[in-house]
Amino acid sequence: MMVRIIVRVTAALLSLVLVGCAEPAFPRDPDDTLQRASGGTLRVGVSDHPPFTEVADDGSVSGDEVEIIEGYAESIGATVEWRDGAESELVELLDLGQLDVVIGGIASDSPWSKHAAFTRPYTRVVGTDGKAQKMVIAARLGENALLTSLDRYLIEKGLRA
Amino acid sequence: MRRAVSSVLPPEQSAILAKAVRLEWITLVVMTVIIAAVGMAAGQSQAMRTAFVEDSLALLPPIAFLIGVARARKGRSPEHPYGHHRAIAAGHLVSAVALLVFGLMLLYNGLSGLAKGERPPIGAISLFGQTFWSGWLMIGVMTLSAIPPVILGRMKLKLAEQLHDKVLAADADMLKADWQTGLATVVGVTGIGFGLWWADSAAAALVSMSIVKDGFTNVRGAVGALLDRRAAPLESDEPDPLIEKLRDEALRTPWVAEAAVRSRDMGHVFHSEVFVVPVEGARLRIEDLEELHDRCRDADWKAVDTVIVPVDGIPEGLSALDPRSRG
Repeated sequence: MMVRIIVRVTAALLSLVLVGCAEPAFPRDPDDTLQRASGGTLRVGVSDHPPFTEVADDGSVSGDEVEIIEGYAESIGATVEWRDGAESELVELLDLGQLDVVIGGIASDSPWSKHAAFTRPYTRVVGTDGKAQKMVIAARLGENALLTSLDRYLIEKGLRA
Repeated sequence: MRRAVSSVLPPEQSAILAKAVRLEWITLVVMTVIIAAVGMAAGQSQAMRTAFVEDSLALLPPIAFLIGVARARKGRSPEHPYGHHRAIAAGHLVSAVALLVFGLMLLYNGLSGLAKGERPPIGAISLFGQTFWSGWLMIGVMTLSAIPPVILGRMKLKLAEQLHDKVLAADADMLKADWQTGLATVVGVTGIGFGLWWADSAAAALVSMSIVKDGFTNVRGAVGALLDRRAAPLESDEPDPLIEKLRDEALRTPWVAEAAVRSRDMGHVFHSEVFVVPVEGARLRIEDLEELHDRCRDADWKAVDTVIVPVDGIPEGLSALDPRSRG
């Protein structure tokens, strides 16, 4: 009896999985961020944190993470709309859905994890406390297509901690 | 008035108990492997990490059972004149509380996730050179991890009934909670894949209802047993059939006019007192009492600890007709 229920549930799930594989975009974003950004605009917040990110006086941005984002944006055919500011302000905008991605030397153990989805670590550095830190990029929470596509890009480029 | 010599289990029940002990060790090993696998698949996901904490609670009933059985095995001694069977009752309380906490945690996490609009992040993962959405890994691990609890739970429920073991029964409830939660996570993660951020929280809140109910029933039963509530079969409030059996044995005796029985659940076995009012003018010999005692003790293996109490009248609060009048 119980076994039969399990078999049925498993069969139902398998068919779901098959539907999932047939889907062009799985996982999907609740707010379709990736779909909107692909061939459109990727809204990225950047806070000054050399050497990961540097914001010049004229507003131009550079640094390792800026390069990663520019490479990623190119891979999905998006143009980047930069917005600089303090990390806390940018994460708030990310939480509100006014930004898609935030960079600025964020570590995987940073307290923002409740307000932002972290990608897999793309590199490892020694932090101010002398312990190893894994560096991540913050994406909007729950936009799993965007997060997955960022993760895939990092994996393809061989960027790992 | 005489007491049973032994308060340990008869051979048949001892064999079942040995089987149950083996099953609990297997459970401990299997659940530890599952918990480790879930922990590894959890990654950054808060939802899966919570599942990991909850799963760890599932280890408590097997541990409580093994400790309880080790204690209950000891016989009677001057310091422990009723034997150590109550260790099973203590283990039942521990298991019941673990189950209730499991359900309440799940309910709280599900509801708070919905209320706060938490959107679980699930990214990509690279394993053995393959890159895929880590939701697939979670779905796979949770589906596989739901299978052993189903099998173990059903095996335990059968043994629990044969042994009258409430810890085993609570453990079976915990395993049921475990696989239901696992399947809820599978449904939830699949929903998240379709862009339904609330799917995981909603699924968790839904299954938590029945787990909270099971936990509450078990806590009530465990506390009732510690308060010497009338002995009852597993998952029931009705008087245990043993009570009626003992009363029947007493009433079949020629010199007994009235009889009433009270039984409390010590864990596995009962402690029963059979109050008998002799017929007018009966001259009782020790042999008469012993003969009745032996028949009562042999009526059921759970009746090992039974005393015969000859009285002038049935004590207040114990109606001679009580069990029978219930029909």
